[in-house]
Amino acid sequence: MTRPTTLQELAELISASATRAQPLRIIGRGTWLDGGAPVRADAEPVHLDAFSGIIEYEPGDLTITVGAATTLAELDAVTAPHNQWCPLLPWGGDAGSVGATIATASAGPYSRALGSPRDLVLGLECVDGTGKVLRPGGKVVKNVAGFDLTRLMTGAWGTLGVLTRASLRLRARPAVDETWAVPLDADDASLPERIGAFSRGRTPPIACETLDAARAALLGLDVRPHLLVRLGGNAAFVAAACAAVATLGHAVIADERLWRALREAPRAAVIRPAMSSGVRTLNERIKKAFNPADVLNPGIMG
Amino acid sequence: MSLEASLRAIVGDTHVLVRPAELIVYESDGLPGYHRRPSLAVFPASADEALRVVRALAQHGVPFVPRGAGTGLSGGALADGTVLLGLQRMKRILEIDPVRRIARVEPGVVNATLTRAATPFGLHYAPDPSSQTACTLGGNLAENAGGPHCLKYGVTLNHVVGAVVALPDGEVVTLGDTTVDSDAGGYDLLGAFVGSEGCFGVVLELTVKLTPNPERIVTLLADFTSLNDAAETTSAIIAAGILPAALEMMDQATIGAVESSIYAAGYPTDAAAVLLVEVDGAAAGLDDDVQAVDRICRAHGARDVRIATEPAARARLWQGRKKAFGAMGRIAPHLVVQDAVVPRTKLPALLAQIAVIGERHRVRVCNVFHAGDGNLHPNIPYDAGDADESARVHLAMQEIMGACIDAGGTITGEHGVGLDKLAYMDRLFTPDTLDGMCRLRDVFDPDRRANPGKVVPVRFCREWKAPEGQTVDGRRQTVDARADGVERTAYRVPPLDKETP
Repeated sequence: MTRPTTLQELAELISASATRAQPLRIIGRGTWLDGGAPVRADAEPVHLDAFSGIIEYEPGDLTITVGAATTLAELDAVTAPHNQWCPLLPWGGDAGSVGATIATASAGPYSRALGSPRDLVLGLECVDGTGKVLRPGGKVVKNVAGFDLTRLMTGAWGTLGVLTRASLRLRARPAVDETWAVPLDADDASLPERIGAFSRGRTPPIACETLDAARAALLGLDVRPHLLVRLGGNAAFVAAACAAVATLGHAVIADERLWRALREAPRAAVIRPAMSSGVRTLNERIKKAFNPADVLNPGIMG
Repeated sequence: MSLEASLRAIVGDTHVLVRPAELIVYESDGLPGYHRRPSLAVFPASADEALRVVRALAQHGVPFVPRGAGTGLSGGALADGTVLLGLQRMKRILEIDPVRRIARVEPGVVNATLTRAATPFGLHYAPDPSSQTACTLGGNLAENAGGPHCLKYGVTLNHVVGAVVALPDGEVVTLGDTTVDSDAGGYDLLGAFVGSEGCFGVVLELTVKLTPNPERIVTLLADFTSLNDAAETTSAIIAAGILPAALEMMDQATIGAVESSIYAAGYPTDAAAVLLVEVDGAAAGLDDDVQAVDRICRAHGARDVRIATEPAARARLWQGRKKAFGAMGRIAPHLVVQDAVVPRTKLPALLAQIAVIGERHRVRVCNVFHAGDGNLHPNIPYDAGDADESARVHLAMQEIMGACIDAGGTITGEHGVGLDKLAYMDRLFTPDTLDGMCRLRDVFDPDRRANPGKVVPVRFCREWKAPEGQTVDGRRQTVDARADGVERTAYRVPPLDKETP
């Protein structure tokens, strides 16, 4: 096990590992160890917890730069006093790191309305598979300078570079933020369409999840299918959105913490679709360009 | 068969241009000041023709530059003695799916044309560059184009869900997925491709998201006697938790240019700056946001706040903003357009610095920009025939860009690097990062034939295969480092069939 504490140590470690063809398993907070496919068994664990903490936070810019191993919980705690948040709150809970969330391009209940890692990551610092430090993107909210290595690293499962820093876009917390639970009438065939119309309608919710009876029970709701809805905006907007929710069933106000419980509940693994041969060739070339010795998380992308 | 003969066989004689008098049209883009003439221009009408053109170019090993409407503002779509591949004839909208809210289009479809086609379904295409009535969606994808409404709705990257692409070697790949929200396997090739400025390949078809039209739109014009107050107001509005659809600023020089042009929008010419704020969305609660913006503007020193709700009145307020670059043509024959981004809270300091720089070099800076994003467009009208003025403009721009970089910003928010911002790339990125960008380009285009010499200065591509003066596959390629530090790769295509009179 290795625990580099500086960028240079990490770069030297990766460079040496590439020379020796010693595979590495990259660990931020250790919550994504089983990411679907396993990392090769002989990979040496590299703990990145030293790359943690808030590096720059100017609330007026609604942006933040953090160490990649910073937990989602810490990010939330730091931004909350300024009435801000990073809606990158993926399935899996708050113990995971910002870096792992980006590396796995993990979505969560707020992604549809407020953006996924692809939309919210402004810039990165990472060490590629040859030990080179790359700093693509930046900390401003609009940036088209150069080829987009930030998007390339996002969702690459650490196989092209080990993330050490990230700049993120934040959002203002809505003035009114309400969570509603709606027990669903399983016999009403028109409901799925009406739920779709609501979630894509005039007063779109921040999050809208249909729960089966078992999942509802897991969250402490009645044992029957539910719709869990989070509404955000000014008072008049939320009132109008509430009225729309009420047309779907007997809505009751619920605890915001249900979202966290829902995110932490076990979920079915994501099935990755097959790639066309042209796309596979490009993927192989990318791996060769950034991680030629295949030492970073080998095997994890299947 | 020669390349020219092959191309004529594919697209027909009328769609291959080789005469200098015809090619002169293509030697600039929307940014006056750069002139590079292609040796040949070819205009396929369909994906099939475009692919055959790309394959013919690959077969002959000839570099090429894809081009949409040529409205770009970075000199990116200029072909310097190489082949220009114009895609504007590929302008069919292939599919609009109002249920899934997506459209499948050819790359030459004009941005505003798609929005017009989506209007009957209550939808529109959200990214709205000021050139939207002319620029193409393929060009938007290549540049990751922005626009005023990107503040709320996001840039092109956030709206493209898939693309069918011809790689420079003639291979066709589908990037991303045409189904919204799908988890495509492998790396984010589409994310890497969007904004690659024509260096990774040619878009044959793209699938984009359509956005529901807001139920209600209100446009406010706030008028300030101090540029600083207007800048402070910008941050205050965002800090209040309001996310306007657009938040634009124009300074006095810009207002003057607009108001004396045919695009006059009724802006107060004695104002130091105006803010154009658009709030849109559900009717419920919208008026509360409008009142909050009004209150914040007045609290920060606005003399007056005009509120427009009717489409005609709103369009008039927008007209001056959208046509501001054109209006600057009244001031001087040439215009330098810049596109830097700074953290929003740094706007007041940067605007003050820009004013000082402009005065020192005796140039007239017109600021018209996306204040909500911190995306500055300090523009300087000048006469390129005046060597002294040109030199002063150049110096002022270098200093302005330097100030933006020093403030933690970037050199381009939406226009791209192209040729124009090459010289700033190594101030912004480390050599290793630039090398990483070159490696990414080489994945898509190992021969570096697609839009050569753009985006990343050649000297940072460590494995550059052909040092100066060497001959590669019978083609001569030179690297020319100019006094201004901007390197140019000059490719020469093999002799074409001579038909020139």
